[in-house]
Amino acid sequence: MAYLELKNVNKYYAGVAAVHDFSLDIEKGSLVSFLGPSGCGKTTTLRMIAGFEQLDSGTIRLDGNDIVPVPPNRRDIGMVFQSYALFPNMTVRENVAFGLEMKKTPKAEIKKHVDNVLEMVRLQDTAKRFPHQLSGGQQQRIALARALAVQPRVLLLDEPLSALDAEVRVVLRGEIRRIQSELAITTVYVTHDQEEALSISDKVVVMNKGLIEQVGAPEEIYRAPNTRFVATFIGTANQFLGKTSGKNMVVCNNVELFTNSLTDFKTDQPVVVLVRPENIQVQAEQSRQKGWNSIHGEVETITFHGAITRLGVNVNGQRVVADITVANTQPVSLNQKLWLQFPPEACQVMVVEE
Amino acid sequence: MASKQKKTGRTSDWLGFAPFLLFCLAFEIIPIIFLLRGSFIEKTTHLFTFQHYLDLQRPLYINSFVNSIKLSGLTAIIGVVLGTFIGYAVYRWPSERVRELLITLSDVTTNFAGVPLAFAFVVILGMNGVITQFLLQYFQYHLYPKFSIYSFSGLILAYVYFQLPLMVLLILPAFAGLKKEWQESAQSLGAGPFKYWWRIGIPVLMPSLIAGLTLLFANAFGAYATAYTLVESKLSLVTLQIGYMIAGEVRQDQGVGMAMAIGSLIIMGLSIGVYQAATLRARRWSKS
Amino acid sequence: MAKSRSTQSRDPNKRVRPASWQIFMVSFFLLYMLVPIISTYVFSVATRWDRTILPEGYTLEFYKRAFAASYFTITLRNSLILSLATILVSLLVIVPTVYWVHTRLVGAKPLLDILMILPFGIPMVVLALALVQVYNFPPLARSPTLLIGAVVIYSMPFMYRPVSNAIQAVDAQVLTEAGQSLGANVFQVLYRIIIPNILPGILSGSLLVFSTVFAEYTLTSLIVGAKFKTFPLLLVEFTRINGNVASAFSVISFTIAWLVSILILWVGSMGNTKRTKTIRAR
Ligand SMILES: Nc1ncnc2c1ncn2[C@@H]1O[C@H](COP(=O)(O)OP(=O)(O)OP(=O)(O)O)[C@@H](O)[C@H]1O
Ligand SMILES: [Mg+2]
Repeated sequence: MAYLELKNVNKYYAGVAAVHDFSLDIEKGSLVSFLGPSGCGKTTTLRMIAGFEQLDSGTIRLDGNDIVPVPPNRRDIGMVFQSYALFPNMTVRENVAFGLEMKKTPKAEIKKHVDNVLEMVRLQDTAKRFPHQLSGGQQQRIALARALAVQPRVLLLDEPLSALDAEVRVVLRGEIRRIQSELAITTVYVTHDQEEALSISDKVVVMNKGLIEQVGAPEEIYRAPNTRFVATFIGTANQFLGKTSGKNMVVCNNVELFTNSLTDFKTDQPVVVLVRPENIQVQAEQSRQKGWNSIHGEVETITFHGAITRLGVNVNGQRVVADITVANTQPVSLNQKLWLQFPPEACQVMVVEE
Repeated sequence: MASKQKKTGRTSDWLGFAPFLLFCLAFEIIPIIFLLRGSFIEKTTHLFTFQHYLDLQRPLYINSFVNSIKLSGLTAIIGVVLGTFIGYAVYRWPSERVRELLITLSDVTTNFAGVPLAFAFVVILGMNGVITQFLLQYFQYHLYPKFSIYSFSGLILAYVYFQLPLMVLLILPAFAGLKKEWQESAQSLGAGPFKYWWRIGIPVLMPSLIAGLTLLFANAFGAYATAYTLVESKLSLVTLQIGYMIAGEVRQDQGVGMAMAIGSLIIMGLSIGVYQAATLRARRWSKS
Repeated sequence: MAKSRSTQSRDPNKRVRPASWQIFMVSFFLLYMLVPIISTYVFSVATRWDRTILPEGYTLEFYKRAFAASYFTITLRNSLILSLATILVSLLVIVPTVYWVHTRLVGAKPLLDILMILPFGIPMVVLALALVQVYNFPPLARSPTLLIGAVVIYSMPFMYRPVSNAIQAVDAQVLTEAGQSLGANVFQVLYRIIIPNILPGILSGSLLVFSTVFAEYTLTSLIVGAKFKTFPLLLVEFTRINGNVASAFSVISFTIAWLVSILILWVGSMGNTKRTKTIRAR
């Protein structure tokens, strides 16, 4: 049985669902991310787990017990806020010790414990400082230390890094993951940064408009998105709208694409074919690979991204993007005509609801 | 380079500041310095003396200081305590419209001081005042002579009138500065509402409360018109005494008046100094 | 909507009605603030109100007597002169200085702030005593000019806050540089660019100064006294002669204060300048 279990959770604001029929199982010791666009209900869900928002219906169980009636200060759930929320009138040490004092832990034990967590976040030497004397990144580590000091059963983080610089963000997310796996603490991590979610999570929950779109391991979410929303929200994907035709062919407005077997689809079913730009090979000459798609187009834009260069190619009026790496391609110029080639496996076919 | 120059300012830049500085010197700073000097000078011999300050030990002057400090301290404490609770009630009031209205009312009433205020209190609590009559007619209660609006307790009522809304205005931003997240983190760390207020809420408000206390104290200590209209010579207050000396109604040595003025400047200066320090502290906390 | 839980009332966002302790505190506050004012208004139109709970009758007699009082027009005129002169001097001294300090002399900002807080630390009686002692020679001695100087000092913070906020809000530094790059000199920048942009701040500052000075009693009575009688002095005189007429004067004074306050709010919302909260000594 899952350690933290949300079942059919609903939350309405003025009759509008902020979180709709949300069910999720979280394994003990795992790190699960909530990922989704702004306003999709990530924070609301997290705050319901913490106890700061009341559910309109549904249950939340922790270790088998219903925690909905338990007030937030009895739930034993740690929370790290986007704004850190360090108490400004207390030193770092006092902040971190606060939760232990609430638990009436003996003084000597508190000191030992606080030293331990401060060491864990590598900020032993700031113990005597006040929050306003720390940098944003340091404040965030202290906020984490404060939440961890009480050894909560679950740790919740709401966009903990979004107020920080890109570099600090990358370092800190690594730290968070390291500490989380060292302590094997069950963690829910809210973010709208997909790279962050993909790089540190055991499981990613992609949300949209209060609903779960897909739950899965990061690779799974990226390689095999269940829905069009997930495919386009995570990474980039070219979309070709068309209708199924035959066993493995989709006829689109401007091209015909070979796909994997389409036995699950009816004939003439409106579908969308998704192709990630990095799966497209760009060739000056058409090289006949057996069974591959090969479409002709003209380069309209060239954008340099460092490791890759992204081409915008006009294929019969539709813009198709493809990535080339500096290493393996000859230089491409604007208005150049070239071939885009990709295997049927690179095509993901999804039904389009009309 | 350019920005460095801007910071310190060249001599020509300081010329632009000169008119204002001269005005302050002429009508504020130099007169005060003369006052200070005068308080140490014997009138006839023009020699340095401490005598004026020693004269302050006379019962009348001691009394004035004691009364002024008691009055200011009491109304400041009452103002801070009641004003904080009223302020919190206003801050948490659900309707935005009502909140705005109460803030506007505070804005206006805190400036309703001096003569019209004193007179309004005579109208309600004077010998034949509305409330005095009401108590008599409905409760057969004789307010007078136990209470009088023309006495110390009367002054307290009148002063609290302008202290309360001032405190409400001062404390509202402080409540707004209490982040919801602090309460929530405290809660998630196991603290109930009482623990939260005791360990975080009140300590964070403390600089604002101290700022409020000192400002209200100074506000009452320097007040003159309200007291002058109500108690006149029935109660001696520092400001009233100094007023009499200027008007020449009391034919004492001017030197004592100056010593008294310097004494009150020191008291006011201390309170405003603490007020400034506390305000800075409150601002620093609200930033983090 | 879905079933509501009993715990819902704990959610502060959901609470629509104020708690009973809030109602109690706010009612107390309202009573304290409003009873004296309303009573004065009623008293000014009551024939007799010292034997009964409600007035025995109503009359406009006291207003007639107030307007007919021999000094009424003169004191009103004097109060207006004093207020307007103070505003004028304040504007001339403070607006250019604040602008200058914000754009050319940022280093003087702390000094300016101290000078602006200083009047709060000086009881008005002390200021009056100091001025009367130093300027004891004609033509300044106990003159309206000396009074204006004193009142400008005392009301300075009320002009300073809104003007300073406005100058900060319009980013005077950048505007000045933009103006100068287009060939304007300092005065042209000030009169053509800065002042039009901070007009709401200047207006609320002026109104604040007006309402402060119009009700000013202490400095006026102690520095010039009966020689230059203003409205508040007349009011004090009448509190001793005739309470009913005094209440009519009080009402006039309240009403002017209310009107100016409403104007200040209106101007404030117009220019979107921050509500200025300043204290005034009494
Ligand atoms: N207190 C509230 N009152 C009314 N509506 C609310 C409230 N809190 C959240 N909502 C609404 O609920 C929906 C979900 O909000 P939530 O804060 O959970 O989004 P989020 O996924 O955390 O977004 P973000 O990435 O911007 O933080 C939004 O449409 C929001 O407007
Ligand atoms: Mg959020």
